[in-house]
Amino acid sequence: MDELSVKGMQEDLMDLTDDDEAQKSKYMTFKSGNEYFGLKIQYVNEIIQIPSITAIPKTEEYIKGLINLRGKIIPVIDVRLRFKQEAFEYDDRTCIIVVMVDDVVVGLIVEQIADVIEIREENILPPPKVGRAERADHKFVYGIARVGNSVKLLLDPDKLLNDEDFTAIEQTNNMISMKE
Amino acid sequence: MAEEFNTEGMLDIYLFENQQLLEQLQEIVLDQKDEDCFDEDSINEIFRTMHTIKGSSGIMMFDNITAVSHKLEDVFYFLREGHPTNVPHMELVEHVLEVEDFISNELEKLQEGDPADGDSSEIVKDLDEFLTKIKGGDTGKKGKEAEVSGNVHEEPKQFYIAPVSTSDSHFYKVFITFSPDTEMANVHAYKIVYALKEVAEDLLYSPEDIISDESCAEPILQDGFKILLQTQSDKDEVRSIIGGGYEIEKVDVFECKAEEFFQGFDFGDHNIDLDSSVEEIEAKAKGSGDEKEKEAGGAKEAKIAPGDFVIQSKEPGKQKKLARDKPKAEKSSFISVNVSKMDQLMDLIGELVISESVVLQNPDLKVPGLNLDNFTKAAVQMSKISTDLQNVIMSMRMVPLTNTFQKMNRIVFDVSRKLGKDIEFEMVGEHTEVDKNIIEHISDPLMHMVRNAVDHGIESNEERLANGKPEKGKVTLSAKTEAGKVWISVEDNGKGLDREKILAKAKKQGLLEDGKPESAYSDKEVYQFITMAGFSTNEQVTEYSGRGVGMDVVVQNLQDVSGVLDIESTLGVGSVMSLKIPLTLAIINGIVVETGGASFVVEIGVIKEFVRVKEEMMIHEPNGEEYIMIRGECFPVLRLGEWYGMETDNYRQSVEDGMMLIIEIEDRKICLLVDRLIGEQEIVVKPIPSYVKKVKGLSGCTQLGDGSIALILDPAGLM
Repeated sequence: MDELSVKGMQEDLMDLTDDDEAQKSKYMTFKSGNEYFGLKIQYVNEIIQIPSITAIPKTEEYIKGLINLRGKIIPVIDVRLRFKQEAFEYDDRTCIIVVMVDDVVVGLIVEQIADVIEIREENILPPPKVGRAERADHKFVYGIARVGNSVKLLLDPDKLLNDEDFTAIEQTNNMISMKE
Repeated sequence: MAEEFNTEGMLDIYLFENQQLLEQLQEIVLDQKDEDCFDEDSINEIFRTMHTIKGSSGIMMFDNITAVSHKLEDVFYFLREGHPTNVPHMELVEHVLEVEDFISNELEKLQEGDPADGDSSEIVKDLDEFLTKIKGGDTGKKGKEAEVSGNVHEEPKQFYIAPVSTSDSHFYKVFITFSPDTEMANVHAYKIVYALKEVAEDLLYSPEDIISDESCAEPILQDGFKILLQTQSDKDEVRSIIGGGYEIEKVDVFECKAEEFFQGFDFGDHNIDLDSSVEEIEAKAKGSGDEKEKEAGGAKEAKIAPGDFVIQSKEPGKQKKLARDKPKAEKSSFISVNVSKMDQLMDLIGELVISESVVLQNPDLKVPGLNLDNFTKAAVQMSKISTDLQNVIMSMRMVPLTNTFQKMNRIVFDVSRKLGKDIEFEMVGEHTEVDKNIIEHISDPLMHMVRNAVDHGIESNEERLANGKPEKGKVTLSAKTEAGKVWISVEDNGKGLDREKILAKAKKQGLLEDGKPESAYSDKEVYQFITMAGFSTNEQVTEYSGRGVGMDVVVQNLQDVSGVLDIESTLGVGSVMSLKIPLTLAIINGIVVETGGASFVVEIGVIKEFVRVKEEMMIHEPNGEEYIMIRGECFPVLRLGEWYGMETDNYRQSVEDGMMLIIEIEDRKICLLVDRLIGEQEIVVKPIPSYVKKVKGLSGCTQLGDGSIALILDPAGLM
């Protein structure tokens, strides 16, 4: 544990009185490729190990398929493929972060789970507008956080799940709800 | 949930309960609409229903509903207590239905959040008139009954009405003579009454004011104390309850018939004839009505003055229908459950099944040398229970069609009366169970079809006579399950569909294909025209149908639940419209197949057959398409593994190793190649999460016993 996280823990204790406040600045971080990403903790339902995945034909490449989460069938997406990075082999350290965004539950396959850390508002910078902005993963990033010497890319889960296919999904959803 | 009930709870419960009451009411009324009158049970039931509605509406301060239900309660109170013989039954039925309509209309308003502001004065006036009419007709009793019906809220003092009256109860007339020197005979009499109350289902005694009126001790001494008792106990028990004692000189217990019981104190003869044998007295009690009436006019009668409670004896002919020996329908009780809780339960049970298999097939059990006898026994028991559990939860979603059919009964009744057609309505198989969601979807289509049958299908009475048909038209609504589908058909013996007329109309509307001669259309194709929007052969628009909306809506609604409409008709003889709908959308009977390690489910109904084929039966087109010849018929072949996008070495390439499923949907056939069959299974259909785009060829997914997920194939999408 470095000095920073100790400090963070102290702040945790101070914040215990107000749970929501404490949660707001907490981030679940995970490693994908060479970089660390952060996801606001209130989106995260749980973290599970990779179960068997049932593939769905004729769908986006990054949607790996369906898993059975205690009787609930949820789709899982491969974060690396979502970032248009190379595929990776799933191993023991591969995890699924189950997130819920607007009542949609989706599993995110990530290479490795890191820590839950606290990031203060003032340490978050907007992503650079020029330079590497064309990189696929950057359109999902809404901020860059400096934590000690490292940098975490903060993900917008809404964009991660939906983004460009949003309209298409919207339409399908509408169709389904109309049918119902 | 709990919070919701705190705010809106009262109204919700009020609406729910009263809607159910009204449904029951309608069922009773329609059940007996063709009789001469309501039987006793129904009168009591309607009375109670109205009483309950009145009470709860009063609490909720819906004055118009209270007023209407109060009036109808008055009418039925009069029927119950007065037993008038000249009630126009049809008119009564209409009044009850009118009230029912009014109330359910108001309830609907409340459900929408609007105030219940319907005007009740009209109905109240009608009912008043009706009540005066039936009272007026019953001459001689007028004054008495007016008094009775004005007295609705007060139960008659002499009655201790207990709601239960079972068929095995006995009726007794008890006559007690006290010794002439008994002091305070009224108190002794009360003691007996008090003791009898313990066993009594119904109790009536005379004189009535034994507690408050001390002066009645005198008549008790003189004339004896009379009790009418309905109880399950036998004669000896009654005697022992009354007991002996120095003040009681004589106790006579006579068993009597229910009707006599309800006639009240008709004791005259017993009083005179106290010493004759029981048999003689019973014989007398059974004597003709005339005799009784004569005696009832006697001085004794007048003294007891039980007239208010005498129920007019029924004519021998009527009796059968009034107190018809109807097997009491067992009332099932219901609670309403939030559907999301049901779904949750379903999920949990699915999970239970999985963890069960995890336990039972645990690798730890595979250690050699273990004695697992007891474990295996316990395991079998557990599997049995979990299977039962699954069956129950599945059956919980299934609802019988009874209610829906009852509604149709009502429609036939209403429409046929308004149109002046004499129509018999028959229901067959109304207990067929269908998934709740599906019932909601077919209720409207059925209504249209039944209306059509009554309005267009059945001719007017004169027309029928002219055509030499039986005057009574008949509409039959039937339901049956067959091959995983529910068939609901509306059959009428009316005029049938006129092929020429429909064709002419179709031509006028430009629906016919160019160059296709009219004779080339099959009957089926012609009948399909009537399901098109804006198509109606009826020149006149009637109140019920003929506006050209209807059949197209029927077809649309059906498609929502993947149902189809089938029309058969013979001109002049009648037509049959059949709905073919899946039993449920939630559970299907499916065949589980496997290809390259992945499981798929195909609905059993679409599979024509399974075949093993030989390579030489295959036909390979240069463009990669494959066909297969089976018994001289050529089918396109779809390799499931290929469609699924599997690596080619994962699934079996040779058709000889695999299994062919011949799938047929609406005359289109396709051969599906899979690796192997797993088995038949009841499949709980779950939608593919909406996050994943809709994939053609998949209709859902499900969880198999081992926890893995199988995709459910939509054969229509594969073609």
